[in-house]
Amino acid sequence: MHIPRKDWLRVLTAHPVAALAELSGRLAAGWTLTYLALPQAGLGLLKLRDGAFHEPYYLGEFPIACCRVRVQLPGDVAVEGAAQVMADAPALAQALAVLDAILAARLPGWQEVAALANEGASKRAEEDRRRRAMLAGTRVDFALLGATEEDEDEY
Amino acid sequence: MGYVAIKGGGRAIAGAAEVTEFLRAEQGEGSEPLEIATIVHQLRHLVSRVVSEGGVYHPEFAALSIKQSLGDTLEAAFALRAWRSTQPRLLETPLLDTANMRLIRRISSAFKDIPGGQMLGPTPDYALRLLRMELIDESPESFRAVARRWLAELPEERLPDSFPKVLDALREEGLLPPVSEHRASVAFDITREPLVFPVPRCAALSTMARGETGSLLGIAYSNMRGYGDVHPTVAELRVGYLPVLLPHPVTGELIEAGEVLLTECEVVAMYDAAEGGGKPVFTVGYGACFGHNEVKAISMAILDRALQKGMRDGPDNPSEDPEFVLLHVDGVDSMGFATHYKMPHYVTFQSDMDRLRTTQRKSRAKESA
Repeated sequence: MHIPRKDWLRVLTAHPVAALAELSGRLAAGWTLTYLALPQAGLGLLKLRDGAFHEPYYLGEFPIACCRVRVQLPGDVAVEGAAQVMADAPALAQALAVLDAILAARLPGWQEVAALANEGASKRAEEDRRRRAMLAGTRVDFALLGATEEDEDEY
Repeated sequence: MGYVAIKGGGRAIAGAAEVTEFLRAEQGEGSEPLEIATIVHQLRHLVSRVVSEGGVYHPEFAALSIKQSLGDTLEAAFALRAWRSTQPRLLETPLLDTANMRLIRRISSAFKDIPGGQMLGPTPDYALRLLRMELIDESPESFRAVARRWLAELPEERLPDSFPKVLDALREEGLLPPVSEHRASVAFDITREPLVFPVPRCAALSTMARGETGSLLGIAYSNMRGYGDVHPTVAELRVGYLPVLLPHPVTGELIEAGEVLLTECEVVAMYDAAEGGGKPVFTVGYGACFGHNEVKAISMAILDRALQKGMRDGPDNPSEDPEFVLLHVDGVDSMGFATHYKMPHYVTFQSDMDRLRTTQRKSRAKESA
């Protein structure tokens, strides 16, 4: 399954933090990580467009963890990865940034990350399916009174 | 007369904290502490109130604050705001559009046939408000069977991920005022700037978005009952998950950093003649908040509409007065003011008593003279 880079973070975060940290730590063992932006947690401000007049306003804040890293492999191969994830754990952002670099440059072990991403995509698809079911199962079927079987059941 | 420093309450204060903690665990042997995930899932509306009134979308920490405050929503929102005040502000999202929400509920009281259809989703609107006695002795097995049964019967109907806005259809027909000319301007950050009146509408929206549900409802209700003139029609009420998009630091492409559950309401109210004698159009109001809280979103939309009138023509009633509404809807502010009266006021009250006794003495002297 081909998953575009813009969706990597969503599918990978379908997994527990520990699983991501373990994979990232294991694959990057022996590589040199240089932080272009240190792993950090803080807040982001959510800017929305209001539905009435399309004016911008701030709805509130959310936790955000960020990291940008250069991954240097033996033999002068260097690639950049980054992550901005809604969480208050810098370690999660760091793990995701490394996995981002691995997938982007197909560094050794990328197949494992891709497999995890595919598994995460299935989990997210199931989550989306449940939400759509909430809509589909409660869709209002407007009809004139007495024109449906439902009416016969009720009276 | 000045304030006098006193001491002696330290042990009592420590004891009060211990007693409160004891009450949390009083159920005793065999009981289990509330798990954070349990609060997040089974007390969804309580968590929704706290994330929205705390102003930070962090359901786990909202659940934690609910747990430590024994379910007091004002205290919980206070703790969440205290936590946020320790956090650095790292970034701001680009302007996000709620048309991209992944909906779980969408209704309109304006039209039965809205583009995409009406879906009730999770709602108690049509339920009888009768106590469900069977939940008193609900077993873990029957509890788990509820979710299992629902998941086994998922309809396979393919639905789109997002739906068009009802207001956009009305606007296309020329029934609504045009969108703001100031839409590209910077929004007002109420966490960094004080509310000095007059304030722009975006400051009012932000203030109400983290306002206390009951306060917003109370003032909106005063308008609906007759102190104001907003009799709205809900053009659309939607509940769902908004993807939070941020530019990837390396590629610049927008990526989804996570999602927030939010409730959004757009109301249409009685039409106005346009300024300068243009064609009359409906007036509109907008409300939104973190979490699933429909009463809050509807109340906010009504107040937005009322405040627009107050900002334009001057207020005719409290709900149209920006200063009255915006300075009195914050739960943490108003709770702090109310509870500060529990703090020692020994010196000021002594002064009040002295003045009263002096006045009484003078009054008696006057009567006997």
